[in-house]
Amino acid sequence: MAEAIVRVRDLYKSFTRGTESIDVLQNLSLDVAEAEFLSLMGPSGSGKTTLLNLIAGLDQPTAGTITVGDQEISSMSESELARWRTRNVGFVFQFYYLLPVMTAYENVELPLLLLQLTAAQRKRQVETALDLVGLSDRMSHRPGQLSGGQQQRVGIARAMVTDPTLIVADEPTGDLDSKSADEILNLMEILRAQLGKTIIMVTHDPKAAARAQRTLHLEKGKLVDDVMNAPQPMRV
Amino acid sequence: MYEQMATSGAPLSIDSAMPLLSLYSFFLMGLLIGAVCLVGIATLPLFFAIIYAISLILKALSNGGSLFFKIALLMFRGLLRSPLRTSLSYLALFVLTAVLACIYTVINFIGIVTTEKDSNFKVIVTEKYTIPSQMPPAYEQRVIDLLGELPKDLQPVNGADDVIAWSFVGGTTDPTNPRPENAIFMFCVDPLKITTMMDGLEKKDLTDSEYAEMQRLTALMKEDYKRIIVSKARLDKMNLKVGQKIKITSLFYKDIVFDFEIIGELPDAKYEGVGFCSREYLDRMLSSFSKSHNNEQHPLADKCVNLIWVRVPKKESYERLAAVVNDPKYFSGPAAKMETASAGIGSFLDAYKDIFFGMKFILCPAMVGIMSLVIANAISISVRERRGEMAVLKVLGFRPVHVMSLILSEAILIGFFAGFMSTFLCWWLLGNVKIQIAFLGAFFVPSIVMLYGTILGMAVAFVGSIGPALSARKIKVSDVFAKVA
Ligand SMILES: Nc1ncnc2c1ncn2[C@@H]1O[C@H](COP(=O)(O)OP(=O)(O)O)[C@@H](O)[C@H]1O
Ligand SMILES: [Mg+2]
Repeated sequence: MAEAIVRVRDLYKSFTRGTESIDVLQNLSLDVAEAEFLSLMGPSGSGKTTLLNLIAGLDQPTAGTITVGDQEISSMSESELARWRTRNVGFVFQFYYLLPVMTAYENVELPLLLLQLTAAQRKRQVETALDLVGLSDRMSHRPGQLSGGQQQRVGIARAMVTDPTLIVADEPTGDLDSKSADEILNLMEILRAQLGKTIIMVTHDPKAAARAQRTLHLEKGKLVDDVMNAPQPMRV
Repeated sequence: MYEQMATSGAPLSIDSAMPLLSLYSFFLMGLLIGAVCLVGIATLPLFFAIIYAISLILKALSNGGSLFFKIALLMFRGLLRSPLRTSLSYLALFVLTAVLACIYTVINFIGIVTTEKDSNFKVIVTEKYTIPSQMPPAYEQRVIDLLGELPKDLQPVNGADDVIAWSFVGGTTDPTNPRPENAIFMFCVDPLKITTMMDGLEKKDLTDSEYAEMQRLTALMKEDYKRIIVSKARLDKMNLKVGQKIKITSLFYKDIVFDFEIIGELPDAKYEGVGFCSREYLDRMLSSFSKSHNNEQHPLADKCVNLIWVRVPKKESYERLAAVVNDPKYFSGPAAKMETASAGIGSFLDAYKDIFFGMKFILCPAMVGIMSLVIANAISISVRERRGEMAVLKVLGFRPVHVMSLILSEAILIGFFAGFMSTFLCWWLLGNVKIQIAFLGAFFVPSIVMLYGTILGMAVAFVGSIGPALSARKIKVSDVFAKVA
């Protein structure tokens, strides 16, 4: 197995709600290898999103360390995290979260605005990303003019346009029919296999989870199961 | 209090009418705000067309790749996002700036007309106790005589030429059916003093060609007292043309019919709606009346001068003269008083003091406050609605300050357009009306209101959006997404 690119050690995360403090993640450790496709399952409220957010640098742990590549992100400040995210993580959301006033092209371009790129570089990267998700002919459509599956593909293009090492997806197929879901999962597979992306995907769907190389089961903030999946053929 | 008034039998005074007057003016204010609202709504399509056009331009420009244009495009698109809320903020700011521009204009105008000048200014002699003032024609000569008794350095520079008497003549071409379309109101004065003593018609107020034309016309009027000049608007309204002769039956002066000849028009926008005729004609008509009535005087013969203006060189001239004029020894039948124009207007406006005070210190701040709240509300709704988007921007690496400035600049943009559009319309619409308020000079909207209005619009939008912008800044990404599942 390749070297771990994500290393989580003794992770604790608790939220305070009013006077009550709830421990969402407890003493959690995990490694994700470079170019690995990992899925994360577990009942609702088990802390999947919280874990994903921590690994992606959207939140800071209560205790423990998270290292991505050679950077320890658990000790970064919020603005350092913001800068780090732009280059190193791509996000895919269940509800796509595209800006409705912008075209597919402009949505994908959004993260690039924060980088020092020439217009030509930007254009090339956006077009490459849209081409990869098969939406070159929908560039100037607004999200409202696209189907759910197409919107999620735009979401994936946006996630990979900055060429990050890590892609995190929180139930990316949760809102899609099975055909569209398959397309999305195929894309994940391509990102991993052809572009060497490390992917962590939260899902409720066992079939989707089985598309990953490995599935982790989370329950009440603890890892309860770690399963290697049999390699699966691409479904077209 | 009312009982007291009833038992004492005191007549309804100005003071007791004040609350009513204020009520009335607030009613008018309501009407004004309503009308402004309608105008604002009418400008909405234009506003959105502009925003849309700019976003198209930005789109074209940003294809070149400039980050600045991209961010600006994001802002403009944000405005198009929820037209209803954008419209609401726009309207609130539009009404605010338009009403404040109107108030500013009125206060500014009052400021100008009530500011005392201290040299070379005009003073008015009127009847002391009666409105309208009706004085004997002899008062004019008496004023001139009294001026002659002042020390040389206090006397008007041009002697008797710095004194002008006004009589008001109103009449109709159709005495059997006097209507606005056949009626005319005229200043009855010495023609040669029109371009020296009438505010707005002096050399400094006219273009060279207008002044030359006025010189020519007034000379013609002096030659033949039947000649008159009338504003173009009035001629159009009465369906008359320069060169025509008209018979005007006076409405004030019983049994007097004038045979006027229209020889010209007043310069554009000056004394709109009225005309000028020669004092000499009125004098002749009054004396011929007594000849044909067994030497019995016309009832108004001794009441035919309404106002006398004097241009004095110094404040002291005015003070000395006022003391004499106010002295019943010289002017007793009827008593007269002398005031500076600004003091005269000022004392007239005194009755409205409370209203102006209320407008300036209660209404304006209250409006600014309310509009800020409206805007804050509209914007915070849209921030709440866009929490997800804001969070996504943050996820992608946009800093809190980016998100905050996006919200702020959207609001300020609306403020800019609303403020400019409303004050521009005020300036343009009211400015084109060019109402000449008799001797107060033309009412005008100073063009500076466009600048003030635009700045005010942006400032209020800023104040209103700072709260929502701060809350957008603080949106925690993990809060937004953790609940999604
Ligand atoms: N920002 C937060 N504040 C308070 N409680 C939170 C927050 N985020 C998550 N939680 C709580 O942590 C638990 C795990 O949430 P989450 O990670 O979203 O679960 P999952 O994604 O597995 O359904 C839940 O009980 C949730 O209510
Ligand atoms: Mg979740």
